[in-house]
Amino acid sequence: MKWDLLHSKRIWRIISQIVFLAIFLFLFRKTDYNGTDQIPYAVNLIFRIDPLIALSVMLAAKTVVALLLLSLITVGLTLLLGRFFCNWVCPMGTLLDFSHRFIRSGREIRFKNDRKIKHVLLVLILISALFSVPLVGYFDPFSILVRGITLALDPALKTIVSHPFDMAYTHGPEWLSRFTEPVNTVLKKAILPYSSPAFSLALISALILAGVFALEKLQRRFWCKNLCPLGALLSWISRYSLLRGHSQGRCEGCGICRSICRMNAINADNRISPMACTLCLDCVDFCPSSKITFRFKNPVVRPDLEGISRRAFIETAATGLIVPAILGIRPIRKNPNPLLIRPPGAVAEDEFLSLCVRCGECMKVCIGNALHPAFLQAGVEGLFSPVVIPRIGYCEFVCTLCGQVCPTGALKKLSKTEKQKVVIGRAYIDRNRCLPFSEGIPCIVCEEHCPTPDKAIKFHLATVVNDHGETVTVKQPYVIDELCIGCGICETKCPVTGRSAIIVTRAGETRHETGEAFVPGSPYGY
Amino acid sequence: MNRRDFIRKSICVTAGSIAAGKASRLIQTPVSAFPDSTPVLVVATGTDYPGLVTDALGPLGGMGAFVKPGYRVVVKPNIGWNRAPEYAANTHPEIVRAVVEQVLKAGASRVAVFDRTCNEERLCYHQSGIKAAIETLKDSRVSCDYIDNRKFVEVDIPMGKSIQKWEFYREALEADLYINVPVAKQHGLTKLSLGLKNVMGVLGGSRGKIHHAIGQRLADLNTIIRPDLTIIDATRMLLRNGPAGGNLEDVRIRNTLTASADIVASDAYVSTLFGYQPEDLDTTVAAHRSGLGEMQLDRIKIVTV
Repeated sequence: MKWDLLHSKRIWRIISQIVFLAIFLFLFRKTDYNGTDQIPYAVNLIFRIDPLIALSVMLAAKTVVALLLLSLITVGLTLLLGRFFCNWVCPMGTLLDFSHRFIRSGREIRFKNDRKIKHVLLVLILISALFSVPLVGYFDPFSILVRGITLALDPALKTIVSHPFDMAYTHGPEWLSRFTEPVNTVLKKAILPYSSPAFSLALISALILAGVFALEKLQRRFWCKNLCPLGALLSWISRYSLLRGHSQGRCEGCGICRSICRMNAINADNRISPMACTLCLDCVDFCPSSKITFRFKNPVVRPDLEGISRRAFIETAATGLIVPAILGIRPIRKNPNPLLIRPPGAVAEDEFLSLCVRCGECMKVCIGNALHPAFLQAGVEGLFSPVVIPRIGYCEFVCTLCGQVCPTGALKKLSKTEKQKVVIGRAYIDRNRCLPFSEGIPCIVCEEHCPTPDKAIKFHLATVVNDHGETVTVKQPYVIDELCIGCGICETKCPVTGRSAIIVTRAGETRHETGEAFVPGSPYGY
Repeated sequence: MNRRDFIRKSICVTAGSIAAGKASRLIQTPVSAFPDSTPVLVVATGTDYPGLVTDALGPLGGMGAFVKPGYRVVVKPNIGWNRAPEYAANTHPEIVRAVVEQVLKAGASRVAVFDRTCNEERLCYHQSGIKAAIETLKDSRVSCDYIDNRKFVEVDIPMGKSIQKWEFYREALEADLYINVPVAKQHGLTKLSLGLKNVMGVLGGSRGKIHHAIGQRLADLNTIIRPDLTIIDATRMLLRNGPAGGNLEDVRIRNTLTASADIVASDAYVSTLFGYQPEDLDTTVAAHRSGLGEMQLDRIKIVTV
């Protein structure tokens, strides 16, 4: 069918999708150091307008998070317009729409009750949140999207684009790089990320995101129709929305609207369910007799309800209840991982896990590539939460960016002077590996790099026998606990091959009064 | 011969010819101003930092005695740390800018300012104020770019006593003229970080390993990079908690700048500003023994302006 642009309604929807995707990508690229220690805007905006994040985080933390109140705008607009967000704003939806033409297979494969999954997920997320088990970060579309791009796609993009240029520069003749290097410079400035970080769990994050796209093979917008808990929440709100689509007058029953509807929102009686409809306006454009319109205050009586039964609700809720009790009795509660070093602004561990939505923004913005997604260091419930891995990268003394981009306040926004006083851990020297101790070789690279104004690493002179049997005087480093803030630069820079000879543990963390994450005792907190 | 070998060999040849060229200039320059072969060291004091650069170069014949029209020049400050200028961890941006300005005025075709930093490079270039200072010159001949890791090439160190090979930055090796502009500061391992230590910023590889015999290794490395001019910034001197610093109480304002074609003489003199004797610094001694310059103060012509 020819696309009559002049009378097309969906063109506005497509423009909106492109604009919001562009804003998303722009904000993503801007979530980086820009020459000052201030980020005026960042991709955290997308999380702040997400009501699922807002609701689950506030339930989990049992507090009102001011940063997230922006999501009330989305709620208000949804009450007015229905699930427009999914097809006019959501960058995940836009990317799925765009990629559908490349991924789709011949016919849709449907399952019984597949749409219910998202409601089950939503209930599970909210009930677990109530018991402070944070699940939202694993199912929220933006967490999956931003994490996947940050940890895998963006660094990979840099490699893919830069590699041919680097090959030309390193191995090609000089006249060739005279042509390729200016292009390379422009690409670096305009499109590519500045640095080439390496992240733990990059592959898993990429696979999760790829999985969302692979599901397009089964059904168009499979994720949005069946799995997305944000979509489920918006569909609950849309039940009461004012703008409704309906077919006017006598319909010829051609069924085109039903077959083209990406959300399968139109039933056999040609009624459009506001809980499923995302206002893509395809049906308006494609109806051969132009019978479908969207209007406020439609005469439509009750929407087709979509959701889960009372029994399923209770079952899900019960599951949500049992999980925290089981999580509370694991050994990790009594013997927390000493290498679990959190970013400087992190609040106390339990609250931190409730607030963190695993979006990966702190990892994106971390200038030292210090922050990585945790695997099981913080227990299963800490999966993808940020952890400092000092052998890969350290926390820059003068940088406060992670606290500025955190959308939920799991990382507090700290001033530079506040941050420089926060202890995230403490270094200790492994004398069996440290060169001046073990081999009588001069080194003290750790002391050189130590950034505290009064160095936390100092040295004393010691006369030792080196590995050639000579008696030599070397400078042996030691750590002053009261001065060390655990930034980890010593561990990053330690020139000993393999495991560092100076290691940071979480001991002495400011965020826990005792310096320990968990007070040993009953898992029930008494 | 593959591509890599070709580059390596051509660089060795280039480096060799540059070194030969430099050696001849080393002899020529002082001769024009002073008839004997005694190294000349100028010590300038004052609070007008750009003016200090002019003052310090005057007795050496001005920048024109070093820079010939069309030269590709490297100006190598210390931009190693994410500290603001007042902490004395990096070369003062006004000094760097004034040096670059004079190089441009003398007719250089290109000036490259860079350093391989210790903290994250963007933080260092910005916090030090050096990137901004260079950008105010608005001259397309000047670049203040971050280190490009593709440009490190392995170089043999034939005169090396402790190390025989290391990776050096290509631009530093290929420059027609190399101006060394370190800041004077305390350093745990070497006691002081001055002109000879500043070579660390053009090295690739795992630089921590230099520390294992740092005095001789710095001397060895300086046999490859022979600065034509060393300007030591002692406008502010970091006395403790160096080389990173971070405490203003550890900084002494000295408003002093030295300039000399002799890197060892420069280090020898500036170490006395910290209360050391030249022979207290292993690096200075090793460099002197390797024939890189004069360390006996009575054999250096010190001109105070």
